[in-house]
Amino acid sequence: MLSPQFTSLPPLSLYIHIPWCIRKCPYCDFNSHEGAVQEREYINALMSDLESELPNFWGRTIHTVFFGGGTPSLFSADAIGEIIAGVRARTRLSPQAEITLEANPGTFEAQKFADYKSVGINRLSIGIQSFNDAHLKALGRVHDSAEARRAIEIGLATIGNVNLDVMFALPASHTGTEPQTMAECERDVETALSFNTPHLSFYQLTMEPNTVFAKKPPPLPDHDMAADMQLRVEAFLEAAGYVHYETSAYAKPQRECQHNMNYWKFGDYVGIGAGAHGKLSMPGSPTEPPRIVRTERVKQPREYMQRAIRGDAVHERRIVARNEVGFEFMLNALRLNEGFAIREFEERTGFSIALVNRALNECEAKRLIERDHLRVKPTPLGRQFLNQALEVFL
Amino acid sequence: MQHIRNFSIIAHIDHGKSTLADRFIHRCGGLSDREMSEQVLDSMDLEKERGITIKAQTAALHYKAKDGNIYNLNLIDTPGHVDFSYEVSRSLSACEGALLVVDASQGVEAQTVANCYTAIELGVEVVPVLNKVDLPSADPDRAREEIEEVVGVDATDAVLASAKTGLGIDDILEAVIAKVPPPKGDVNAPLKALIIDSWFDNYVGVVMLVRVMEGTVKPKDKLLFMATGRNHLCEQVGVFAPRSTQKETLSAGQVGFVIAGIKELDSAKVGDTITLAQRPADSALPGFKEVKPQVFAGLYPVEANQYEALREALEKLKLNDASLHYETEVSQALGFGFRCGFLGLLHMDVIQERLEREYDMDLVTTAPTVVYQVLQRDGTVVNVDNPAKLPDLSKIEEIREPIITSTILMPQEYVGSVMTLCNEKRGNQVNMQYLGRQVMLTYDMPMAEVVMDFFDKLKSVSRGYASLDYEFKEFRTADVVKLDILINGDKVDALSCMVHRAQSQYRGRQVAAKMRELIPRQMFDVAVQAAIGANVIARENVKAMRKDVLAKCYGGDITRKKKLLEKQKEGKKRMKSVGSVEIPQEAFLAILQTGDK
Repeated sequence: MLSPQFTSLPPLSLYIHIPWCIRKCPYCDFNSHEGAVQEREYINALMSDLESELPNFWGRTIHTVFFGGGTPSLFSADAIGEIIAGVRARTRLSPQAEITLEANPGTFEAQKFADYKSVGINRLSIGIQSFNDAHLKALGRVHDSAEARRAIEIGLATIGNVNLDVMFALPASHTGTEPQTMAECERDVETALSFNTPHLSFYQLTMEPNTVFAKKPPPLPDHDMAADMQLRVEAFLEAAGYVHYETSAYAKPQRECQHNMNYWKFGDYVGIGAGAHGKLSMPGSPTEPPRIVRTERVKQPREYMQRAIRGDAVHERRIVARNEVGFEFMLNALRLNEGFAIREFEERTGFSIALVNRALNECEAKRLIERDHLRVKPTPLGRQFLNQALEVFL
Repeated sequence: MQHIRNFSIIAHIDHGKSTLADRFIHRCGGLSDREMSEQVLDSMDLEKERGITIKAQTAALHYKAKDGNIYNLNLIDTPGHVDFSYEVSRSLSACEGALLVVDASQGVEAQTVANCYTAIELGVEVVPVLNKVDLPSADPDRAREEIEEVVGVDATDAVLASAKTGLGIDDILEAVIAKVPPPKGDVNAPLKALIIDSWFDNYVGVVMLVRVMEGTVKPKDKLLFMATGRNHLCEQVGVFAPRSTQKETLSAGQVGFVIAGIKELDSAKVGDTITLAQRPADSALPGFKEVKPQVFAGLYPVEANQYEALREALEKLKLNDASLHYETEVSQALGFGFRCGFLGLLHMDVIQERLEREYDMDLVTTAPTVVYQVLQRDGTVVNVDNPAKLPDLSKIEEIREPIITSTILMPQEYVGSVMTLCNEKRGNQVNMQYLGRQVMLTYDMPMAEVVMDFFDKLKSVSRGYASLDYEFKEFRTADVVKLDILINGDKVDALSCMVHRAQSQYRGRQVAAKMRELIPRQMFDVAVQAAIGANVIARENVKAMRKDVLAKCYGGDITRKKKLLEKQKEGKKRMKSVGSVEIPQEAFLAILQTGDK
């Protein structure tokens, strides 16, 4: 069978990209731009963009919304409120929807957290990165650790449902600090744990192509040290009652990020805003076979706004081919420590598990995954060497 | 015949031979400007890039000289590298004259000297030309002196030229007419035509470039090849001007092509004499030799399913290169591949590159080795061109290695360091000659050392000024042992190599250390051992990689993560799995990269 067959459509999420930052961080490879925020024009563009996409998911319920960036917290609460209201008016937004906003822990932003709550934000993801001022500086961050702590406290007191993004294996700054030591990493973990937030994300800093760091790599802790830090982070967080449920994500029981879970489980999502990516399953019609479609919006904020207003913000729309769908599913699903149910694979991709049987066998032989007739999940070895498993599906 | 001149050009790589040839063709109107893509005679892309001529080619030029006569000048191009000395000697024996082209700023180099000596031995008139005189660093007087001192040719009248600017081109052509004697030979005598070169053309089969020494050849003649004893019917004759032009006959004194419906190059060997079956010559022209490969290496496809494609590619290369030898070889580590024999290292490089470039092959090449003669206890002698095939030690009476006589030419100030290098490489000094500011050293040396890294080292100790020429001398008893490499306890046959016993400990440690550097960290520890027989002499450990996972992967944009993984996978494709260990291609050549003590 060449096209997928969907028995039911996957849950749907909405991603909204806010492309501006006060300053671009040297490690960041996201679509972010320094420059003046243009709230009014951008809101109009987003709404027009959403309307142009509506026919592709008409009638489907949106279960989660995520404002990502860039720095969405540069937008006023009124602006965020207007966007949420606009989404509610145009789509079926579930009343229980998780609505997350990414925020910078600056003083200017923290003052707005209560207002964000009042306009509908019910989850906050704060980009802490580190509690060590020297490392924050090496990372090119505009906030310091005192601001970070205050922002977390305010976030907890207002919105309550808070995630902290923290990184490890941090670089030395060019002004002479040493790369992060194990003791410093532990201190960051302990500080993060002290706030008892329902969710924590701990990433190893990665040198991404096309970033300042990629061009001028700073001194970093070596491979073995970074691996040791990963183990230490896992041990500390698990001891504190967090469930390690995805490569870099940890949550108190039942407090996983619903929006990210939908990505990881190959759910559908509409992506609006400059450079936003979307993925939608189409049930098929008399004229077109069922298919999975990925979209990407134009990246430059200026061009995006001009084109979105004309309903022409899509830079690229491509159909996921039969020979790609297995890899694309695994890329995210095998990041989950619990893996996935075979039924989920068949529902979400529209293909029988036979499509990837050979690759699964190879991964099993290499002890990267384990499976029974119901589920497939990565082994501890597979979690450490996920890329090796993913290559098998390419 | 009085208006024919057959000549070739002797020059070191980069001294401007090809550019000069192009100038001649242009000057004599052989090609229009549009057809005159740079360096016409070097037609293979690779030759253009490396600036070397691999196969001899030719151009028949028509030049109106100052004396008012139109001369037919046949330029026979010769390869300029040590690996192809036999081809050079055949090209030269087809000529009455040779231009000795010397870079006026760099002076004479060893290969030029060797080729010049060949020319003089063959009775070829040498006409010196100083090229690149337009460069500020040019020193014509010094170059002139060197030609006289080193080569022993009178250079008083050496033509000053610049192939690049076109300076002196007419002077060279006039000198050719004045100094090179016209060919001799009787057009009515029994045919004797020397095969200078042969190659395969998809439409007409084998094309032979010949110099007719005696007699006449024309289509429908029944040809006899004197070395192979085979008969073929002549189909076409003609000349290259430089495009091919058919003629009714080729007769004594002329250079041109003969096509005789031949399907494989083995029937048209360079140096063979063609005569007529009906009226054969009483003897063949002197100098014919079977060329034997000197250097061997295993070539394996990175992916096993490319084996057939590699075979086809080698077959096609073989069509045009009789000196390439190959046969199927099976390695426990690398699977199915070919043991290939080459004239020398450059030849090997060229073949490898053509396979990769023109045939898009991904190859693993094992370290090159020479042929060893092994005298067994039972009195039989076997030739071993693959260290893994060395007979069991208990059966070996002695091992003999090939010795070459090498001639090295260098400025005086580098003599000390070059001698030290030659001694390190187990060389025996045979001669040392002061030739003006240059010194010519002659050493007998194991060829295995030259194959290893001698040439690179020579260049580095002499800052690039020393040049090398060598020829095979004899097989000599040697105290060599087989060095094996074990990966995670398993001997990898493709990594075995022969080393001198005195160097074996050091080499073993070096190879193991280099392997540790080259093998990337894997999901488990990798142990690398070097052993001689059952005796492990070095051990290194490649520590296991700890993790290989993308830290951040927000589901939104998957394209970049996909690209990253594709790149990582692509990188692995260039590695060979030996057991469960991924070994990069360069690691199979680790023995060549072991540095200094």
